[in-house]
Amino acid sequence: MHPWLLLALALPSLAALDKTHGVSPSLVSKYLPSTKGSHQTWTCLDGSKEIAWSAVNDDYCDCQDGSDEPGTSACPNNKFYCRNEGHIGAIIQSSRVNDGLCEQECCDGSDEPSGVCPNTCQEVGAEHRKKTDAERKLRKTGSKIRSSYIAYAHKEKKRLEVLVADLVKEIETREKEVERLRDIAERAESLSAAELERKKQSPLYQSLLVHHTALKSLQKEHKKHLEREKALGDILTSLRTGYNPNYQDMAVLEAVRGWEALAGLPHINDVRKGDDGEADTTAEKPTTEDNVEDEGLWNAAKIEKELDQLLKTDHVTLLLEHDQLVGPASAQSLLLDISAYLPDVLLPSYHSFRDSVLSALSVFGIGGGGASDTSAESNRARVALSDAEHSLKLTQDEQRTANEDLSDIFDPDGFGPEGEWKKLDGMCLSKDTGEYTYEVCLFDEARQIPNSGGSGFSLGKFSSWDKAARAGELEYYTRQHYTQGAKCWNGPHRSVELVLTCGTENTLLTVAELEKCEYQITGTTPALCRPLEDEHTKDEL
Amino acid sequence: MRSPGTLLLLLLLPTSLAFKPTDFKTCSQAGFCRRGRALSARAKENPSSWHSPYSIEPPEFLPLNPRQPGFTTSVRSSIHPNVKFVLDVRIHEEGIVRVRMDEEDGLRKRYNEAAQWALIGEPLLSEDVVWKMDEGKAKAVYGPKKDMVLVVDFNPLKITLFRGGVEQVVLNGRGLLHMEHFRTKEDSKPAEHIESEGQSVLQVNPAAWFEGDTQDAFWDETFSSWTDTKPKGPESLSLDITFPNHAHVYGIPQHATNLSLPSTTGPTARYTDPFRLYNSDVFEYLADSTTSLYGSIPLMHAHSAKSTVAVFNVLASETWIDIAHTGKSGVETHWISESGILDVFLLPGPTPTDVFAQYARLTGTAPLPAHWSLGYHQCRWNYVSSDDIRGVQNRFDEEDIPVDVFWLDIEYAEDHKYFMWNKKTFPDPVEMTKDVEAIERKMVIIVDPHLKRSNDYPVYKRASELGVLVKPKSGEGEYEGWCWPGSSSWIDFFHPGSWDFWISLFKTKTIDGQWSWTESTNNVGIWNDMNEPSVFNGPEITMPKDNVHYGGWEHRDVHNVNGMLFANLTFQAAAARTDPPRRPFVLTRAFYAGSQRFGAMWTGDNLGTWEHMAVGIQMVLANGVGGMPFAGSDVGGFFGNPEPEMLVRWYVVGAFSPFFRAHAHIDTKRREPYLLEEPYKSLVRDILRLRYSMLPVWYTAFRETSESGVPILRPQYVMFPEDEAGFGIDDQYYVGSSGLLVKPVTQKGVKEVSVYIAEDQVYYDYFTNHAHRPKNRHITVPANLDQIPLLIRGGSIIPTRERPRRSSPLMKHDPFTLRVALDTSGNARGELYLDDGETYGYGKGDVVWRGFGAESTKGKGKGKEIGTVRISSVDLATRTAVGAYDPANEFARSVGDVRVEKLVVLGLGKKPLSVVLDGGRELEWEFTSEGGVLVVKDPAVRVVDDWAVVVKLE
Repeated sequence: MHPWLLLALALPSLAALDKTHGVSPSLVSKYLPSTKGSHQTWTCLDGSKEIAWSAVNDDYCDCQDGSDEPGTSACPNNKFYCRNEGHIGAIIQSSRVNDGLCEQECCDGSDEPSGVCPNTCQEVGAEHRKKTDAERKLRKTGSKIRSSYIAYAHKEKKRLEVLVADLVKEIETREKEVERLRDIAERAESLSAAELERKKQSPLYQSLLVHHTALKSLQKEHKKHLEREKALGDILTSLRTGYNPNYQDMAVLEAVRGWEALAGLPHINDVRKGDDGEADTTAEKPTTEDNVEDEGLWNAAKIEKELDQLLKTDHVTLLLEHDQLVGPASAQSLLLDISAYLPDVLLPSYHSFRDSVLSALSVFGIGGGGASDTSAESNRARVALSDAEHSLKLTQDEQRTANEDLSDIFDPDGFGPEGEWKKLDGMCLSKDTGEYTYEVCLFDEARQIPNSGGSGFSLGKFSSWDKAARAGELEYYTRQHYTQGAKCWNGPHRSVELVLTCGTENTLLTVAELEKCEYQITGTTPALCRPLEDEHTKDEL
Repeated sequence: MRSPGTLLLLLLLPTSLAFKPTDFKTCSQAGFCRRGRALSARAKENPSSWHSPYSIEPPEFLPLNPRQPGFTTSVRSSIHPNVKFVLDVRIHEEGIVRVRMDEEDGLRKRYNEAAQWALIGEPLLSEDVVWKMDEGKAKAVYGPKKDMVLVVDFNPLKITLFRGGVEQVVLNGRGLLHMEHFRTKEDSKPAEHIESEGQSVLQVNPAAWFEGDTQDAFWDETFSSWTDTKPKGPESLSLDITFPNHAHVYGIPQHATNLSLPSTTGPTARYTDPFRLYNSDVFEYLADSTTSLYGSIPLMHAHSAKSTVAVFNVLASETWIDIAHTGKSGVETHWISESGILDVFLLPGPTPTDVFAQYARLTGTAPLPAHWSLGYHQCRWNYVSSDDIRGVQNRFDEEDIPVDVFWLDIEYAEDHKYFMWNKKTFPDPVEMTKDVEAIERKMVIIVDPHLKRSNDYPVYKRASELGVLVKPKSGEGEYEGWCWPGSSSWIDFFHPGSWDFWISLFKTKTIDGQWSWTESTNNVGIWNDMNEPSVFNGPEITMPKDNVHYGGWEHRDVHNVNGMLFANLTFQAAAARTDPPRRPFVLTRAFYAGSQRFGAMWTGDNLGTWEHMAVGIQMVLANGVGGMPFAGSDVGGFFGNPEPEMLVRWYVVGAFSPFFRAHAHIDTKRREPYLLEEPYKSLVRDILRLRYSMLPVWYTAFRETSESGVPILRPQYVMFPEDEAGFGIDDQYYVGSSGLLVKPVTQKGVKEVSVYIAEDQVYYDYFTNHAHRPKNRHITVPANLDQIPLLIRGGSIIPTRERPRRSSPLMKHDPFTLRVALDTSGNARGELYLDDGETYGYGKGDVVWRGFGAESTKGKGKGKEIGTVRISSVDLATRTAVGAYDPANEFARSVGDVRVEKLVVLGLGKKPLSVVLDGGRELEWEFTSEGGVLVVKDPAVRVVDDWAVVVKLE
């Protein structure tokens, strides 16, 4: 007989399938025929249709919901259950049934006609147990470290509580002091207010105020321009290193060349051709500041250092002191004048020194007196008050920060419900990928640092945990997002998704730029190793 | 409403980041095109006195041997009486006419090898021609009906092809033929004032009336910062080709424009510049333009309700084509080329199908591709690592979304040295590839033609040692240009010494100690990109025209053919990895006439806009006309981040393209289908499953085109060549001979579309089975985002495989569903072709090729009512294939378990009485009276067998 004909007889081959083939244990009880007269029928699980019992698992889709074909691929979007005796049962998509491939998930080979796939459940089961054991061991070790993190959080909590208590006391003291000084200042001021108003009409004083405003505006503008220049420089620097020389965009090339000339950098193509990548870009950078300085004018450094100081000058004090200066020259005026040149920190002690000298002088009948002296007095009181207020504010800020830290420690949105992440706050992990080292300082900032030198780019600041999950769930803490890093040329701000799993060490494993300027970094941390008992409780629930 | 701000942004976008017109020439910036257009302008200015200066000697053979297929004779130019030209006219089998003209004994040789690369062989001469002399002309009468007449007028030279007494094609009818002869720079001193005995005498240039009086860009030419040295001087070629009785012309891909080509000159002009053929890497090209793109096929169809003809103008140099639709329903064209001989084939038709066959006879057809390459291709610039690829594959599988191929763009290669893996990111390339192949999927990996000039790169090093790299204008050393790897050189595939070398590179086992790609597998497909060639720092982003190729030819001579040779060799190399060879998959961006033999093409770096989606369809249709049917455009658009609605629509365009690949630029957000939100994800999954269910239709269509050359996507004029109203339609098309008609939605917010129907026939909605009868030749079908305007033409039988699988090879044993769509008389037919999809076993008969039919017989007494419908399957291979065919061949045996699981019969007038397997049992069935849909459950017949199912209605 021709083998061809033999084959012809073999069809259809799937007719003999068990009716519960591929049915999950919870549904097996529904796969029973009803008897209607002489023949057996079965109703689709959605109740939509009654079909012949023989039509169940006959490799033809009769039911809308696909329930008549649990063991074949005839109905789309079905689920197939493999029992995997000796291992754990699994559910696969029906698209994988009878497709000629032995599914890993179905170690019993039931996804293919019998004889096609070997039953490997013994080996797979053993392998699985081995793997599970290893994972459990890892988690056990990891969770020990994690408990030390939790302990740290509790200790930190105590420390902060003590700190807060101390700060509360300190604030009380400082508040009293402020009250006292305010009282003095107000009394002094009420005496001198009218006189002061008169003096303020002096054209010199008015002009000084205008100068002050002008200078302040200039400083503001100057700072804005500095920031702008820096931002432009950053943009051009990333354009220079990041632009694609291949698009033949002459405008871009010109911009790059122009920037290189202005900033004294070598041409990037020459750098790229060299073996060391961007190694020498910073080395050759010449000073960009103007060497020629106009006689007597402040240079940038001096502006930076002293302009703020100058703008803090107390003009009222100056006004009063000026009065004394234009009057008869006196030791007092000289002394009074000095305060203008003293840094803030020295002022209080200077003032007390001055006061004592002045009182001594008045004893000897020297020095100004009367109304102008009263004005100076009220002004000094005001300075003392603002000093005290400033100190109070600092202490209050410190308290607020401590309080925030305190509430963050056990905040599910912050360092986790058990405070297990507190220990890692600010811890920097890094991964060298050859060309770059990636550094993530947890809860702070991620950076990309070229190994050839240079400071690299910010890849973003910590912004959130995994938004797709709920705070408090383990899943929530497996992803951290660092966003709003340095902007890419022709692209978004750099950002990082840090994907963490349980491990005995805090370490970064891989770095991938899946989309331009969007990095995925994987790593491990003991903070994610919840104790094994947790799971048991969950399972029971 | 859209805010004014958005509007402003939209207006600004195109200028700020799109196509840079300054990178590419207009006709007025190319000396020879300027000269060609000036020639045509002079002819227009002097319509009465204009005549071609070219004439021929009466052929010598006449009247001695009137039965020879053609003749060769000398050509004289009245403006250059001392220059000799030669003309050769031949008539080949199928009535194809070939006209060649060259300069004879000139200072140099014109490039004459383009045909050698384009043609599959020397065309056979006709034995059926009778020549006769007739008052200054020679006439050839031929064709089975003796209705074909070729008339060659001697003075002026004019060649006209007639059919049935009607002019079909006229060469040099407008007197624009001009072959600039070779000259020395000395000879070509322009006409000038000659000092003679103290008197200034104006020397009149006797050629000026024709050629003009200036020597415009004869000897060198500067564009932007590049100077073309033109050592050979002027050598351009101008030819007018007129179709006096054809109102539509199609073809000459690749351009982003309508299928029916608009005018570029004259009162009906839509564009100002001629269509240009000059393979170019155009960054962010425009969606409506005559600019040249990545490929060039100098084939033009001319069509009317009465006849179709075509010209195949075998030019490899830069060519510009002016088109003018003339008032009296004809088309005038003017072809201006920079160099090369005149070599024109006239394809006589008379139908589109005939023209496709005639062109296929010359340049070959697209061979049957590997079956998996018709599945869905997932690409991105770039999947960044082996684990990235594995992750993408896992996500597809988790979401149960089918995919066959994962692609790697240039970033897999260390320093862009193709073949060389970046081991930091791809530490285990072979294992990765095998992980993909474990699900019967494949990888396609890019190999570009530019080689990094680095001696630690074995491919460059060897090519350099062999001396097979393209040379600079000096003719010595290696041309150096800039491309992805930086400083690069290009293999000169015209150099025979490069061929074995290139083929050896792809071997996955080391042979004779030579370096080869052992870190790949025999299943890997190859992507040949950048083969225009793209040179970032070259003129018009390509090679300088004065570069030198093998044989001393300049790059200008071979430019448009160049990219095809690269794909040709890669195709050979990939096939030669195994013995016996297996069908390779190669994707190319540049192409030329004949490229269809070497794999698929795509429409290059398109933009993620609705306009580009729409023009992508037109470009794929035009490519089919150009004989290159295995084509598609990047789903989603290469540049930009398409909104989900656009992406879903684009997946439909892709699913109904022969080549179906999603691709994205490195700057874009990832947009793999599984990343989409619902409902978009499920919509795309359904579209992909639809494509997979229809793979039998696609594969059957590919078989047909591999024989006939008729494109897979068939526009109206191909399907209904006599239906004038359909000639301009290019936004809907039929799939092969299947009877499927699709009109993809390419606009935002569409709820329904109107489909043009050229015939009085019933069309069924593919999804709802609703039977449409056209009103005023139109059918309106719903087209919400979850709906696809897909119709089955009455009279068709569509074989599908409806079971979702992860990849196409996993469907090999799945059963078939047949949709039997009865026509108005109750009949239908369809086809199914299957083979192993991988080997060349089909050549020795390892195939299953079935013909399905439905025949209705009238019932007794009641006149028109159908009595029975007999649905049957017969063997087509036995009837058509050569003797070796055995119905029980190896492949047929391997699918012996594959059955037909379902018949869906559309258009039954009433409920059947019975459905019986002919000569066998009663079958189970269900009937829905609405629409008359009969579903026959599992006839359990084998797809390889003859069978019949009889539906009795009374």
